[in-house]
Amino acid sequence: MTTDIQNSPEHAPSPRTQPGGRVLPRAISGQELVLIGVLIVLWVLLGVFTPAFLQPQSIQPLLANVAPIAMIGVGMTIIIITAGIDISVAGMVMVCAVVVAKLLAEAQMPLPVSILAGIVVGGLLGLVNGLLIAIGRVHPIIITFGTANIFLFLGLRIFDSKVVNGIPSSIAVLGRGEGGRLLGVPISFIITMIIVAIAWWYLRYTAGGRHFYALGSDSNAAALAGIRVRRRTILAYLVTGLLVGLASCIVIANGTQSLAPTVGRGIELQVIAAVVIGGTSILGGRGSVLGTVLGAILVQTVSSGVIQLGWPSQLANLFVGVAIIIAVGADLVQQRLRRKA
Amino acid sequence: MSQATHTPRQAEVKAEASRDRMTGILRAILTQRVLLVFILLVVVVGLMFIFDAVGLMRGNYNAAYMAGALTNVVPLAMLALAELIVIVTGRGAIDLSVGSMVSLVGMTFGFTYGLWGFPLIASVILAVVVGAVLGAVNGVLVAYLGFPALIATLATYYAYGSLAIVINNQQPINSPEIQGMYATAQPVPIPGLSGILPSIPLGIFLFLIPTVVIAWYLLNRSPYGRRLYATGTNDVAAQWAGIDVPWVRMRAFVLSGMISGLVAVVTVGQFASARPDAGTAGSGMALPAITIAVLGGVAITGGIGRVSGVVLATLLIVWLNAGILLLFPGNAGTQYQLLALGLVLVFAALLNGYTNRRFRVLS
Amino acid sequence: MCRRPLPGASTDYSIDIRITTKEWTLPDVHPTAESAASAPTTPVPRVKLSAIAKHFGAVRAISHADLVVRPGSVHALVGENGAGKSTLIKILSGAESPDAGTVEIDGRSVHHSSTTDAIAAGIATVYQEPQLFAELTVAENIFIGREQRKGLRVDWKRQQVEVAKLLELIGLPARYASMVVDDLSIAAKQQVAIAKALAQDASVLILDEPSAILTDAEIDVLFDVVRRLRSNGVSIIYISHRLDELFRIADDVTVMRDGRTVGTHRMADMTVRSIAEEMVGGVPVGSKRHVDHSNEDPLFELIRLRRSGAFEDVNVSVAPGEVVVLYGLVGSGAAEIAASVWGMKRVTSGEIRLHGKRISPRSPRHAQNLGIALLPADRKGQGMFSFQSIAFNITAGRIPLLTRFGVWFDRRREGIVARDLVKRLAVKTPSERQAIGAMSGGNAQKVVLARQLVERPKLLILEEPTQGVDVGAKEEIHSIIDDLAAGGVSALVVTSDLPEALRIADRIVVVRAGTTTVTFGPGATQVDVLAAAAGDVSGRAA
Repeated sequence: MTTDIQNSPEHAPSPRTQPGGRVLPRAISGQELVLIGVLIVLWVLLGVFTPAFLQPQSIQPLLANVAPIAMIGVGMTIIIITAGIDISVAGMVMVCAVVVAKLLAEAQMPLPVSILAGIVVGGLLGLVNGLLIAIGRVHPIIITFGTANIFLFLGLRIFDSKVVNGIPSSIAVLGRGEGGRLLGVPISFIITMIIVAIAWWYLRYTAGGRHFYALGSDSNAAALAGIRVRRRTILAYLVTGLLVGLASCIVIANGTQSLAPTVGRGIELQVIAAVVIGGTSILGGRGSVLGTVLGAILVQTVSSGVIQLGWPSQLANLFVGVAIIIAVGADLVQQRLRRKA
Repeated sequence: MSQATHTPRQAEVKAEASRDRMTGILRAILTQRVLLVFILLVVVVGLMFIFDAVGLMRGNYNAAYMAGALTNVVPLAMLALAELIVIVTGRGAIDLSVGSMVSLVGMTFGFTYGLWGFPLIASVILAVVVGAVLGAVNGVLVAYLGFPALIATLATYYAYGSLAIVINNQQPINSPEIQGMYATAQPVPIPGLSGILPSIPLGIFLFLIPTVVIAWYLLNRSPYGRRLYATGTNDVAAQWAGIDVPWVRMRAFVLSGMISGLVAVVTVGQFASARPDAGTAGSGMALPAITIAVLGGVAITGGIGRVSGVVLATLLIVWLNAGILLLFPGNAGTQYQLLALGLVLVFAALLNGYTNRRFRVLS
Repeated sequence: MCRRPLPGASTDYSIDIRITTKEWTLPDVHPTAESAASAPTTPVPRVKLSAIAKHFGAVRAISHADLVVRPGSVHALVGENGAGKSTLIKILSGAESPDAGTVEIDGRSVHHSSTTDAIAAGIATVYQEPQLFAELTVAENIFIGREQRKGLRVDWKRQQVEVAKLLELIGLPARYASMVVDDLSIAAKQQVAIAKALAQDASVLILDEPSAILTDAEIDVLFDVVRRLRSNGVSIIYISHRLDELFRIADDVTVMRDGRTVGTHRMADMTVRSIAEEMVGGVPVGSKRHVDHSNEDPLFELIRLRRSGAFEDVNVSVAPGEVVVLYGLVGSGAAEIAASVWGMKRVTSGEIRLHGKRISPRSPRHAQNLGIALLPADRKGQGMFSFQSIAFNITAGRIPLLTRFGVWFDRRREGIVARDLVKRLAVKTPSERQAIGAMSGGNAQKVVLARQLVERPKLLILEEPTQGVDVGAKEEIHSIIDDLAAGGVSALVVTSDLPEALRIADRIVVVRAGTTTVTFGPGATQVDVLAAAAGDVSGRAA
């Protein structure tokens, strides 16, 4: 049974829709394309001015350093998409790293067990954040400021004011030296890219992934639409914790045989910088892990480039600050044009 | 018959009245954050005295010790007041860059007073002016260009911190003039009361008390304060009431920069050196300042927060920390300070949330 | 035009859709308006509300309401503000439950206690500005929370097929499926919200004043959609203040007045005037003594004022001590005119004159300094500083006035000023230091009004001065306006409350479609004004 619902004769036949066509926004946002462009320009310029830059021996450590930032960045991106934030990742990195280092160096546990332990510990800490935020219904920035201090305390207590020495070189398989590379790429970077790919797929194609965006866009409306807001929120912080656990192992692998109680310091702001440079909106509801990876690479390129050029290494942070302003500023202008149009 | 029903009802009424009274007291304690922090302060100091009396402490927790600890109050309370002024403007306003501003202004002060021989007063004024300019950058980004405050001040945190380190090639400035600044951090006896009260750090009188008085005036007795609270409570209504909302926000960040500039002078005195990482070393100065502001009752959503709450919260944290140092030997002391700060903040935040839901107000 | 012409808003897309109605209609329903219309009391009505009553505390919102909606019909629900329409809609959509009466859907009695239950029963509501997730695509918004899944993954293909069908049904091109909602016009957002309702198998669709904020072209599109849904057997309850447009779209109309349904008619039997008459009833409205100011020099004038996209050719004059009402329905442009005079929005051309001198307010502050005061329409959003004291709220608009030497805010004088106004406006409060947040709507409104009176204004602009205010406070506020006018203050009142307009005005200027149309002096009747505001074009049908 069909009904002709055409109601005015002047309407001409419309083109038929293509079932299975695109139903999602574009895979790569404008900001990500711009970032890729900026990165290419930067790499070419650095390659021209400092011939050492484009050599494997400087690209490899750059990628190895991108790995932990981008990996934690995946979690942070999800959190920021839900309109949250996590200041406590530095403290989490310290706890996870010292646990893994001590298991390896002092308890002589096998590498997989130690890594797993690190991930579990990270997950537990993330769960604490998630539960406090979802059930206490307090602004995440405040709660994670608090837990940041508590996690730092835990980390420092476990360190017991001593540097952990004698971390076995088995951990180097994650990305240090020749043994830590596959086809010349640090294994830590490969793992990170796999996680990024999974997260990208999950956030883009699954109902659960899309619910993170809905939640960040309007949590009340999300609850009305039947989305379990609390569960999603806890999940975001839990996933971040798990990723911090793994990233901490990479941090150890990127270091030496010893681990000092300064591990992780300042990493929370580096991660947030990578996320916002990547185009994720701090107001929630918008963002992608692809942008975060690009942001992390940009930050590391700047740091590495400054050193290669023989400038004071601390100058890198000035450029990072400027990059944040430009990236977020470009996004603001774009938003404003969109509203005006 | 009537009596039989009367008595239980009377008891009921009585129970209800006492329940009402309990709710009233709970309400007062929860909604009057100054009261809660004050009670906590008395409890903490009382506990410390008890711990001291029963011999749990490695040193004497007495008035002189507490007075000595006040040195730490000066920069912390001043920056917490800066955060108060910024956070009160609402819409997620926050200033992550205060620590970096302290570092950078400290270095410029090192140049002007320590190396270029500017007079002290001129150098201090210049430090405040430089702070104002740095704060104005934050203000323009947030108030006029629409950057989220968290992002704008994260960016300037990086930029200012980096400049502070690069500006003198990573070297601190320790000229004799700068070392002479140490006098501002020394305790001085209070004239006429020297026998009764212990010596108090000079910085309290030179920097903290003037800042507290000015902040109190600005927030409570100046026309600007009215506009500040109005903006933080409801910026749309403020606009309809004829208040220039962006200008109010802008000035809050400028004030934060000015206070940071003054704190830079304080820290130069405390370290007897202009250090390029003065405000950013360790976990930096911004995080403790924000923590104390929140503990003192400043609502991250804006419009709520008082000078007295912030000052009491600073005293609470500093005297708690001082006690912890005597309770736990060595590094453990500083570590337990982190734990205490974290627990107190989480507790205060959960309490804020609960209070807002239960009583819908917080003052 | 500030609204950008969007594909969804224009009429140039083409439709030739043959869609199986099986998914969209109930099998026992003849899906054409004509066949349904020929039998007004078909055995099983889609919606039947009987003897509904609802109280909010002591306030009686609905005393007795009956509503019968035929399957596959467009049923208009009209009534003055406060007649009980929105409460009735809330009951039907599950947001409120009735104190008495029954709700039947397709002959089955239902007791839904939440909007979710109502949606499950096939009742969906689309509000003027629909709640959608701005950053998600149209397709995602339609299916959010109820995604079609294939394993972990969302089954985009299946969703796409369904979305394409829905979009065709509501007249949006299929490519809209992948557009981000934030990029759509309000009109297209409403259409998406309708599609979302249809995806949830709605058989009753409530449209709550959808046309108020649409352009004429957008309204045409909306009506196309409504007609198509009707022919697919969906029943539509259509709420609107624009009586004229009902003739283009509605089959039946139910009129509400003072919490009662007072009549249900076939649209064919009605005219704008006859509906207006039934809406206002025969009750005379208490009115103050109108004063004729026509011989006086105007204090305030708007001359051919225009702001592109909002209003044009606006001409108003207010004499000293005169109360002029700008009467217009939501979306008429009256509020925009007030915002422009207040310096919140720039005008494109035309003149604003005060005392015969041309002024151009740049900001609210500037307007204040010129002697203008304004009471904003949205008390909570634009007026109140919720957790601050009454005194704070009263003085917030006049801070410089209470500042000594430019640096010292005089709290003592603040208290005196606040106490004085609290007394003058009879604000019920133990102290002026009490927080405003806990006060009743009427009291809070008086406090916000007091802010405008700290310094006696030359021109007082009042936007919806008694919205959400109880009857007693409403009368008090009206008396305050009378007294101010008697004292020589000129008042320009923007209201969509007709009895209020008649009660306080010396003259009523009707604003319609962004321009001033008719002016009524003393002796105007409710029916005259309502018909003029609704565009008295009786007989103009679809």
